[in-house]
Amino acid sequence: MHIPDGYLSPLTCVVTYAAALPLWVIAFRKLKEQLDETTLPLIASLSALSFIIMMFNIPIPGGTSGHAVGAGLIAILFGPWVASLCISLVLFVQALVFADGGVTTFGANALLMAFASSFVTYYIFIGLKNKALAPYISGWAGTVASSVVLSIFLGIQPLIATLDGQPLYFPFDFSLTFPAVVGSHALFFGVVEGIFTGIAYAYIIKNKIFTRASL
Amino acid sequence: MKKIFYPMLVLFLLVPLGLLSENPAWAEWDNEYYQEVLGYIPEGIKNAFTTQALMPDYTFAGLNDIASYYLSALLGIVLIFGFFYLVGKKIAR
Repeated sequence: MHIPDGYLSPLTCVVTYAAALPLWVIAFRKLKEQLDETTLPLIASLSALSFIIMMFNIPIPGGTSGHAVGAGLIAILFGPWVASLCISLVLFVQALVFADGGVTTFGANALLMAFASSFVTYYIFIGLKNKALAPYISGWAGTVASSVVLSIFLGIQPLIATLDGQPLYFPFDFSLTFPAVVGSHALFFGVVEGIFTGIAYAYIIKNKIFTRASL
Repeated sequence: MKKIFYPMLVLFLLVPLGLLSENPAWAEWDNEYYQEVLGYIPEGIKNAFTTQALMPDYTFAGLNDIASYYLSALLGIVLIFGFFYLVGKKIAR
């Protein structure tokens, strides 16, 4: 799901960075409010856990692969803003140190993998109240939401940036991108994210590692 | 709190399983893919901005894939904990 450099037009890169910037400022403030002696080690651990689970590439039919993200778990424990900042940090490290996801596309990647999934998971989890399946369903939905945003960012490229009929950046439009990206995430990677979120959440609650204050 | 580290340690040790997939992620193809499928590489992708990453694609020159992957996981964990313990501690209440 990490968009590489060169896949998005400069305009898309600028707009996505501009949209992400104020969100990062708010998210940083929210993180500041939440960080104390008890939460800091756990938030740091869950961010590191997100980095690790993104390394588990899972092959699927059709010759591609993908992975869970771990945004939803942080979102239901610490809220969507904190989760968005944590995942943005993970994406930043991946882009700079491992060239996984571009530097020019970091804003876009943060919007889709950090913000979209964290907020969708959080509000669906809240909507489902304390139902046992809430973390599973909301985790799945967050990943599917990310994939929808990804297919929009990629799918608009051939519409907004072509020269002499040749796409300059990502060349495939919605009709190809949407089913490939959203389909694979709804059927496979979202399910993995949902299972991860559900099991990890149950483990954290059962072992009283952290209790959500607001539930 | 300790209890969170056990499953993380297990996942850390299992991380080479992530190398089993030879498949690239959708829309994270090599440039040759476009040459084959479209007959050309889109200009923007061909001339993409590149950075000198320390460990591009989780590999490190001179190390085999599994050792590189472990080193990558370790480096990622250190950098993330580093952020929280350096910056986080400063801004924490």
